[in-house]
Amino acid sequence: MKKYLMLAVALILVGAMLVGCVSESTSVLDKIQKAKKVSVGTSADYPPYEYLDDAGNKTGFDIELMEEIAKRMGVELEWVDMPFDSLVAAVAGGKLDISISCFNYDEERDKIVDFSEAYYTTEDAFVVTSAFAGTISAPEDVANYKVGVQSGTVQDGWLTDNLVSAGLLPEANLSRYERVDQAALDLANGRIEVLMGDYVPIQALVTQNPDLQVVYRGVLSTGPINIVLPDGDTALKAEVDRIIKELQAEGFIDQLALKYFSE
Amino acid sequence: MDFGQFLSYIASGTVYTVGVTLIALPAGLLIGTILALFYVYGGKAAARVMNLYSTIFRGIPPVVLLFILFFAVSKGINLSAFWAGSLSLGVVSSAYQMEIVRGALLSVSGDQLMAARAVGLSRMQAIRYVVLPQAVRLAIPPWSNEAAIVIKDSSLVYALGVPEILRRAQLIGASSQQYLLAYLSAAVIYFLLVSLTTRMLNHLEQKLSIPSNP
Amino acid sequence: MPKPILTIKNLTKTYGQNVIFQNLDLTVNEGDTIVIIGPSGTGKSTLLRCVNLLTRPNEGQIWLDDLEITAKGTDEDQVRQHIGMVFQNFLLFNHLTALGNVKLGLTRVKHLSDEEATEKALHELSRVGLADRADHYPGQLSGGQQQRVGIARALAMDPRVMLFDEPTSALDPELIGEVLEVMRKLALDGMTMLVVTHEMGFAREVADRIVFMEKGYIVEEGSPDEMFNHPKFDRTREFLWKITELYGKKEKEAE
Repeated sequence: MKKYLMLAVALILVGAMLVGCVSESTSVLDKIQKAKKVSVGTSADYPPYEYLDDAGNKTGFDIELMEEIAKRMGVELEWVDMPFDSLVAAVAGGKLDISISCFNYDEERDKIVDFSEAYYTTEDAFVVTSAFAGTISAPEDVANYKVGVQSGTVQDGWLTDNLVSAGLLPEANLSRYERVDQAALDLANGRIEVLMGDYVPIQALVTQNPDLQVVYRGVLSTGPINIVLPDGDTALKAEVDRIIKELQAEGFIDQLALKYFSE
Repeated sequence: MDFGQFLSYIASGTVYTVGVTLIALPAGLLIGTILALFYVYGGKAAARVMNLYSTIFRGIPPVVLLFILFFAVSKGINLSAFWAGSLSLGVVSSAYQMEIVRGALLSVSGDQLMAARAVGLSRMQAIRYVVLPQAVRLAIPPWSNEAAIVIKDSSLVYALGVPEILRRAQLIGASSQQYLLAYLSAAVIYFLLVSLTTRMLNHLEQKLSIPSNP
Repeated sequence: MPKPILTIKNLTKTYGQNVIFQNLDLTVNEGDTIVIIGPSGTGKSTLLRCVNLLTRPNEGQIWLDDLEITAKGTDEDQVRQHIGMVFQNFLLFNHLTALGNVKLGLTRVKHLSDEEATEKALHELSRVGLADRADHYPGQLSGGQQQRVGIARALAMDPRVMLFDEPTSALDPELIGEVLEVMRKLALDGMTMLVVTHEMGFAREVADRIVFMEKGYIVEEGSPDEMFNHPKFDRTREFLWKITELYGKKEKEAE
């Protein structure tokens, strides 16, 4: 799906250049303030960052943070749920004003959208079942096993760049999943031996399933997480960055992390 | 969250699944039938163009067309995700339905057309009153197949954020960590939709069947 | 003074190198029944299709009454309304009842109201003895009944001339009689008919003239008496002798 998306995005950009219909003159910020409404995309299937509560409402670290940001911008927040892979294209294509969904900075993505300042820094983790008999003393050791990862994430990028391209991990031994939960199912039934993911959701998985255990934790691929903004829109970026700094200074974000990550 | 809530949350996506299907399938039928008529009766140049249309739209993965229409084409006309998704699937389906109708038209013997012309009907009349009614009957079984495919393909609009059955199953699966149950529920709903549709079309086929043997 | 309804002059039809017939002349007068006989593959069916413009001749002209129908710009649909055609394989519209088959041309070509068309169609069906089968689909009728519906369908358009392309060749022997009987009645009623057939009994009894075609040429034509009793050419005599041998017994069974 990622390559289709890139194809579609490429077509959009070519089309936009041909038609010349991308107007750089007005900031999305103006539009947001005029409409008193900001349209924000998220993929609400990634607890604890973004998910549905028992009543079916969106909740999570990113959700609560974004609601506070919108409040401080003085506008109403309109949530649009979209699969993770579609979010960047939707901002690039002008269908959404902003996307927040535990995004890491990524050079490829940076070509078509902008990133806000980091609002939090996450870590990576490897998780295995109790049946796992191997040893992982260094991150590169996972190359000896069948590994699963969520497709298109920075973890996918790290595995591909550092292990697959280096010839350490055979392509056939790397399974890419659309979502972490699918990978977790395959981990449970032995189709993969190690699952790499973002530490916070991995920890949530482990809490749900006592048979899983984290064998490595550290900053590999995932560094800071950022909000996705329209490309080249400096006014909007300045406004969002200002509020993020404000929230960090007030300790609001640390409190949120405590609430959702139990750290 | 109890099981009832769980199932009803996923099932409420049925509105979108059925909605997308009810737009995509008839749109595909209309376009497909018109194109099939050009394909079969429009001469060599038309046949070549139709063949190209068929090759292109059967060759592009539906989800790519979905993205193109939603993110690129709809920039100017502000198409909603629901409509962009439904129309994209309609266009994809039209290529398949064109082949179905074309096959059915070709299965009606050319002699039927000749007999109609001999009575004095124009070519258009002969196609409309003699060939098409017979072709429609031949097309129902493969069309029933295509209807099932469109129902299942309607799940692709989730990529644009339309909260249909599959997307709802994902969301509730993620929040409850009950993925298997979520997807099983979605599977049951899809199965019911497809089997209901198939049965309705079987019934239609029987109703329209031409009596034979005294 | 006989009035020609159909005049064919210098008609030639070829498919690529293959000459079907060449420089053919034929006149059909009002009320005449002309029977064309000859070995298969001599262009008899193609000739009928040329007359009905279902196939375009390469050269030559055809007049229907005073209208040259082979002229450029002729409205083919208009012409075909006035020429009834009965096919070897009946070619009824499979999805319509007997009544529907007869009505289609009346409603769609002659633009009669549904009521008028039904009345007319039922009349034509009773002419061929099938009023009680009006609601039957082709698949529910015997071959002989289907062919009679085919005749009724052509008659309903009130054609100037009826073309019959081997109307009994596809029928079981016991069903031939009912179709020939309908045709005989038509001829007696004064319908102008051009018939391609191997039924020598019908030709002998009903035809005003018999035309013997072979290899794309008209070898000989004349009254049944001339053709059967003193033909000018040996080839005619030979063919008639063979065909009577082959079909004679079958005919007796059927009648």
